[in-house]
Amino acid sequence: MQTPRQITLIQATAVIISTIIGVGVLTLPKLAAKAAHSGAPLATIIALTLASLGLFVVTKLGSRFPRQSIVQYSERIISRWLAVLVNIAMISFFIFLTALTAREFGGVVIATVLMDTPLEVTVLVMLLLAAFSARHDIRTFAYIHLFYTPIILAPVLLIIIFSLKNANPLYLLPVYGYEREQMLPNIWTIAALFQGAFVYTMIIPYMKKPNKAWRSALWGMMIAGGLYVLIVTAAVSVFGPKETAVLLWPTLELAKATALPANVLERLDAAFIAVWVTAVFTTLLSSYYMAIHSLSEVLRFRDHRMLSFFVLPIIFVLAMIMQNIIKLYELIEIVGRIGLCLTIGYPICLLIVAAIRNIRGEADDTNQPRKTGT
Amino acid sequence: MFRFRWMTSSTNYANRRKDNNSSAPRMSGLPDNILDEHKDDVLSGSVVQTTNFIYNLLGKSDDFVMRKFQVFGQYPAALCYLSSLSAESKINTEILKPLMSGSDQVTTASYNSTELKTYIAEQVLFQSELRYESRIVQLVESILRGHIIVVIEQLSEAFILGARQIDKRSIDQPQTEQVIQGPREGFIEALETNLALMRYRLPTPDFRIRTMQLGRLTKSKVAICYIEGIVNPLLVDEVEQRLSKIDIDVLLDAGYIEQYIQDNHLSPFPQVQNTERPDKAVASLAEGRIIILVDGSPFGLIVPSVFSQFFQTTEDYTSRQLQGSFVRMARVVALVLSLIFPALYVSVISFNPELIPTEFAVAVAGGRAGVPFPSVIEVLIMEVAMEVLREATIRLPQQVGGALSIVGVLVIGQAAVSAGFASPITVVVIALTTIGSFATPAYTAAFALRMLRFPLIILAGTFGLYGIMIGLILICNHLLSLKSFGVPYMTPIVPADAEGMRDTVLRQSLWSMKRRPSFLRTPDQIRVNKSSEMQQEPRNILDPMNTQDERLVDPDANTATDHTDPSNSGHH
Repeated sequence: MQTPRQITLIQATAVIISTIIGVGVLTLPKLAAKAAHSGAPLATIIALTLASLGLFVVTKLGSRFPRQSIVQYSERIISRWLAVLVNIAMISFFIFLTALTAREFGGVVIATVLMDTPLEVTVLVMLLLAAFSARHDIRTFAYIHLFYTPIILAPVLLIIIFSLKNANPLYLLPVYGYEREQMLPNIWTIAALFQGAFVYTMIIPYMKKPNKAWRSALWGMMIAGGLYVLIVTAAVSVFGPKETAVLLWPTLELAKATALPANVLERLDAAFIAVWVTAVFTTLLSSYYMAIHSLSEVLRFRDHRMLSFFVLPIIFVLAMIMQNIIKLYELIEIVGRIGLCLTIGYPICLLIVAAIRNIRGEADDTNQPRKTGT
Repeated sequence: MFRFRWMTSSTNYANRRKDNNSSAPRMSGLPDNILDEHKDDVLSGSVVQTTNFIYNLLGKSDDFVMRKFQVFGQYPAALCYLSSLSAESKINTEILKPLMSGSDQVTTASYNSTELKTYIAEQVLFQSELRYESRIVQLVESILRGHIIVVIEQLSEAFILGARQIDKRSIDQPQTEQVIQGPREGFIEALETNLALMRYRLPTPDFRIRTMQLGRLTKSKVAICYIEGIVNPLLVDEVEQRLSKIDIDVLLDAGYIEQYIQDNHLSPFPQVQNTERPDKAVASLAEGRIIILVDGSPFGLIVPSVFSQFFQTTEDYTSRQLQGSFVRMARVVALVLSLIFPALYVSVISFNPELIPTEFAVAVAGGRAGVPFPSVIEVLIMEVAMEVLREATIRLPQQVGGALSIVGVLVIGQAAVSAGFASPITVVVIALTTIGSFATPAYTAAFALRMLRFPLIILAGTFGLYGIMIGLILICNHLLSLKSFGVPYMTPIVPADAEGMRDTVLRQSLWSMKRRPSFLRTPDQIRVNKSSEMQQEPRNILDPMNTQDERLVDPDANTATDHTDPSNSGHH
């Protein structure tokens, strides 16, 4: 299938960064602290390595099939019907992921800023926002990510910097951590926070230089992962590993504990949540877009636009199914682990089968990518 | 939500055109239809026949003048024009007089028709604008455009002479784009004058003007101006394409064209910039854009346009770099302020008062103590009042306008506060917002933000800061999806372009902007060639320490100074 190549490397990097950084950041330090206590940063780095492995495989597949998305080349690698089956599973996973993200952030909003608003409203507002924006074409999708990435990175970095004055480096020792019984499952859950990067399979066929996709992947992983490690380090060094492990949203607490100089704003948490809407929005948009875009490819639609509002009620119902926040986080862990099998295991299988059967995508005409741009 | 695009609109045109063709079997009594019927008729050579035809069409208007006379006393002829459009004294002295008197040798000699024609054109008439026309319909149209036609017996072609005189206002300062530094000329209504204003700034053969006629009744002249070799030729084609699709009866202003050629009709944001300033038009031409001018409109349209253009002025470039950058930053602040400030105020007051310092929060609460409405309602009422006031000050006659705006702003604001209708802080917020919206140089863009302020205030009133963010994200996403002639609207911020970005919020020095904007895809990229000259050390020739200057210590120069010594000392 002929696709206009218009996404630059920097846009692809932005897509990865802003997709990964989302509502999961709020709980991340808790997971990391539960995994290895003072070794939380180390646990995050291990998870990051694991997730990078998945993205590496995806990039490898992408450079093998530079003109096709995962839905398209999977049908060539393993037989059509088997691929459709797995792809449907993958799409349902992304629909579920969208629902969980919307639900999780809706919960955060009603717990922190809009106490009297029903949960349904905040969830629906987020979903509507994503549904409207998912109707744009892939170029606008990349623009949206590029535009919001600095807005996402800035407040987190600001909070990390301002929290340094309360930090106690001793909390971070020993570096390799202690009480590591829970380490493996929690690392698995942290790695699952990175799985949004799987949207890269959708981006690669639209990139101007798909053979350099690994560069964007590397940069995206490094920036997003670096930010994760910094947040974990900051939270653990301010609250201590034991305290961090029992806080529900340690990053939010970090925002509460910091104050701007000159007392311009007395508290930062409400402002932080407000700015964080953009981060959650981009994550939500990515998984929503991934779901409907892949669905339209499975169904052989020319355009994904009409699917946008078609899946909205499904996602909304899925989001409202969970009874409370405890159940929600239990489910998020389970879904995350299943998702990890899909987003890492599935590409690995595809790559192995493709290597054995020696299937390659059609060669990419990299000498004229600029002509089709814009 | 803003998904209506160029494609849908072009189908509209198609429908409309079809309607016109099918549903209008025209009544053949109207002069315009007679013109259509006789499209290819040529002159018969008989003055009576021709003048009758013309008189039938135009004779019912009282400003139509037909003067019969005899050329050199022997050839019957007629002269037709519209008195409202022509300079009559010029006709008398420069057309009628030489034709009727002629020279003595002519009166004796008898010419055949071609000789007569050349003789009149080459030796009798003192007119530079002179054309021959054989089609009668063209003659009628020339009369309607203010030309004078002379029909002479036996000639198969008539003369079309230019003596058009239409009163126009003088060139003065552009009303909507005032500057402190920079040229003060603005476009006026007459197209010729506007083209002249641009032409004298661009004495290059590459400056091209293509005209076309649009509007079935108005037949307005539309000029597409560009610089060959700088503009992307495909862009010119596209502009012509879009213009040629316009089918409307009256086209009175450039605004009509803007609405037809824009990409997204439902977007609050303007995708075509308009300007009253010839210097701005020329600067845009030199960047590789196209200017569209319409006869009868003092506004030129600049296509394509991107968002960052709307908070930039030519003054940024005529003033010094730091000054330009500072002013531009102030404008961006004003732009953002005019969009979100009232919404921010509403959400902080009604949802998150803990954000602001306690002392201030107490003061705000004290000010609001007597106000019965929630802050959303209060702000909305004040905003609506402000909009009404603003519209009123534009429409009012100038003599009372000034008085009313003072009454409006000072008295109503003060009275509203003391009546317990609004809190003082609200008045401050509204005032700041209004002033902020005036600081945006482009009226149309400021208007977009002004409109979007209202949904944002309502969102802020329902969802607080969360609502504002949702609203802003929707606006940003819309901006990111918008295009003007294919150029993404947020260029050069997204998609990122380092060289363009440096000249977006800050102003770059003129010599460091070496290339034309890359998003315009101009064939000729280089704007500034020799940057090295600017980096050369300037010579401090007048430095007081600089006694080593050759011309001062020169022995020859010494003798020269001896002569002038007394006068020199006298001066100092």
